[in-house]
Amino acid sequence: MKHLLGIVAWVAVAAVGALALATIAWHRGEPISATWFVLAAVCTYLVAYRLYSAFLAAKVLALDNTRATPAERRDDGRDFVPTNKWVLFGHHFAAIAGPGPLVGPTLAAQFGYLPGTLWLIAGAAFAGCVQDFVILFCSIRRDGKTLGEMAKDEVSKRGGTIAQLAVLAIMIILLGVVALVIVNALKSSPWATFTLAMTIPIALLLGVYLRFLRPGRVIEASVIGVALVMFAVVAGQWVADAPAWAAKFTLGGVTLAFALIAYGFAASALPVWLLLAPRDYLSAFIKAGAIFSLAAGILLVRPHVLMPPLTRFVDGNGPVFAGKIFPFCFITIACGAISGFHSLISSGTTPKMIQREGHARFIGYGAMLLESFVGVMAMVAACAMTPGVYFAINSPATVVGATPDLAAATISSWGYPLTADTMAALAHSVGEQTLWNRAGGAPSLAVGMAHIFSRTIGGERLLSIWYHFAIMFEALFILTVLDAGTRVGRFMVQELLGRVWKPIGRMNWYPAIVLSSGLIVAAWGYFLYQGVVDPLGGINSLWPLFGISNQLLAAVALVVATSILLKMGKLKWIWVTLAPMTWLVVITMTASYQKIFSANPRIGFLSYANALGAQIAAGKIPAAKIGEMQRVMFNQRLDAAVTAVLAVMFLVLLVEAVIDWHAILARGKEAKLHETAYVATQWAEGD
Amino acid sequence: MGPKPKKHGRSGHGNSTFLVSLGMTLSRLWQGLREWSGDAAYETYVRCARKHRVATVLTREEFYVEQLQRKYSRISRCC
Repeated sequence: MKHLLGIVAWVAVAAVGALALATIAWHRGEPISATWFVLAAVCTYLVAYRLYSAFLAAKVLALDNTRATPAERRDDGRDFVPTNKWVLFGHHFAAIAGPGPLVGPTLAAQFGYLPGTLWLIAGAAFAGCVQDFVILFCSIRRDGKTLGEMAKDEVSKRGGTIAQLAVLAIMIILLGVVALVIVNALKSSPWATFTLAMTIPIALLLGVYLRFLRPGRVIEASVIGVALVMFAVVAGQWVADAPAWAAKFTLGGVTLAFALIAYGFAASALPVWLLLAPRDYLSAFIKAGAIFSLAAGILLVRPHVLMPPLTRFVDGNGPVFAGKIFPFCFITIACGAISGFHSLISSGTTPKMIQREGHARFIGYGAMLLESFVGVMAMVAACAMTPGVYFAINSPATVVGATPDLAAATISSWGYPLTADTMAALAHSVGEQTLWNRAGGAPSLAVGMAHIFSRTIGGERLLSIWYHFAIMFEALFILTVLDAGTRVGRFMVQELLGRVWKPIGRMNWYPAIVLSSGLIVAAWGYFLYQGVVDPLGGINSLWPLFGISNQLLAAVALVVATSILLKMGKLKWIWVTLAPMTWLVVITMTASYQKIFSANPRIGFLSYANALGAQIAAGKIPAAKIGEMQRVMFNQRLDAAVTAVLAVMFLVLLVEAVIDWHAILARGKEAKLHETAYVATQWAEGD
Repeated sequence: MGPKPKKHGRSGHGNSTFLVSLGMTLSRLWQGLREWSGDAAYETYVRCARKHRVATVLTREEFYVEQLQRKYSRISRCC
């Protein structure tokens, strides 16, 4: 009877999910309620978790709870710490959730709400969650080895090096592009700039508190820190209202870029307890709080989604970024559906803390479902504003026109009515001087979040506070990615250079620290600077580059996972990783090809460079601007080269893996698996 | 609070009153929050060091700095 009830309940969940998906897919005309998005996502997640992840756990991976995990065998109180399933879920989620699932869907909203939402949901269930889960499982079975080490053991020695280089490359591009998102959110905004600047002294204060006054008392320090940051959000308004102060904090893109580069260098070279760690604690609490509040806000307010399901920009001429739905919707969404970066967390900290193999399903598959939900919420927040406003915030001036009246006319001519007064009133209501041309996703998401929050608490009066709270929340955890990433990048550079000249590899030698920190910030700082000065807005070039590198890393992870499944004798189920891998190969290779060779200058790096060259040759560029345009041309060619190198590196790994698979399947080569030996758990059944 | 049982058996408070079980739930949530945030890391370490009879146990301050060094030397945050 109970069994029957269970079946009925699951059929009901599936039916509601199907109804909600059908509603958002076929709805036309009147604006649709966000409730349908939440229902479609949550019901699909529940069914996918109940059925697909159970199938993966039982049939494909055969999780074994009698097998001792690395945390049990090596229990050292430091890295290998057996951790409660729920706590580890939170830990893993906090590690994988970054700005990607917020920014990607916001940008992809230019195609309309439908393509992005469907890919967020389906991509997570069949690709992203599978990758996170399988890589976590593989790493648990190998004492917590990293993706690079597993690629070396299970694919080829070269595969390991390629994975390592790919990680470094994606890290540099990632840091450049997320820094650009902050710059676009802060430029000409004294309020937001002041608030974010204040988080630095607040973090230093907490650093001293946690190091000398109350070592390791993270919660109490974070409570103090969060209170101070909230005060800084409010105080930002006073700064913006005082002309003398406002002038000091009103900065242009280039100044902000150099400030961020200096910050990244300091965070990497200073002792970690002083700046990096306390900011990370602060950001973890604010991130968790803001994500929960956004979910609660969407459920309470149930905003209407004003963006149409599909916009005219599915044709590839979108103002936010150029390129057709296939492949650019998938490349742009990236992290909310599948993120290669997650495979580094799944083969990093988490496998060393897991108590039982069986928990890998909940933590690996489950946490990614939640990440996908964050992406769906970002999509709802971006699509809940008038489409005209969305395009005004996210389009560069070179596409829509430099003056408000001109830009409003352009956007209205696309069929998304907008007046310059609407934008002026909106900017005023959120306490900003202007909201035009702020590509990058952060400001439009903040406007969306502020509307949702203010309809829950405070109304119009608090709109500006909520807007700056949202900007602070995004910027704060982008900064956390920036400083933690710079530091890890520094270690990678030191390790690589240490192979050439040993002293550079010494982690405590100050000249080596300064040199390697300098190299890594120079690398991402270069991409950031090129984005800031790019006439097309930077995001148009850099976000696809980031998306391609991220999805290529996911493809690397799925190649490794496929090799391992094959060697485990799971040929029958090989499609669970082979199918998403093939899909990623198709989208990344198509996107790479188009970004390099497309004849459309807004898509192809090379044709953009050539178009600028032709303009210079034809004398259409003023003499004073020629030097600047030549730098833009160089940057475009550099981006083309980076894309090509990444694609070729991946193809080398893929070919090596395919040769190995062929040898195992057709020539009977011994499938040597590098798992650690089975050790029976000493822990009682339960949990 | 108290030390967290490693073996997750349900402790026998099935018949206790609503308030007691509410208290238990809150204390578990609090403990979970402490473990999630790293607030309880030192206690976990000391428990582990005692279990394995480690000769020199780090002080709270030493452990805090050492743990941060390790944590931020590898990828701990994602995009």
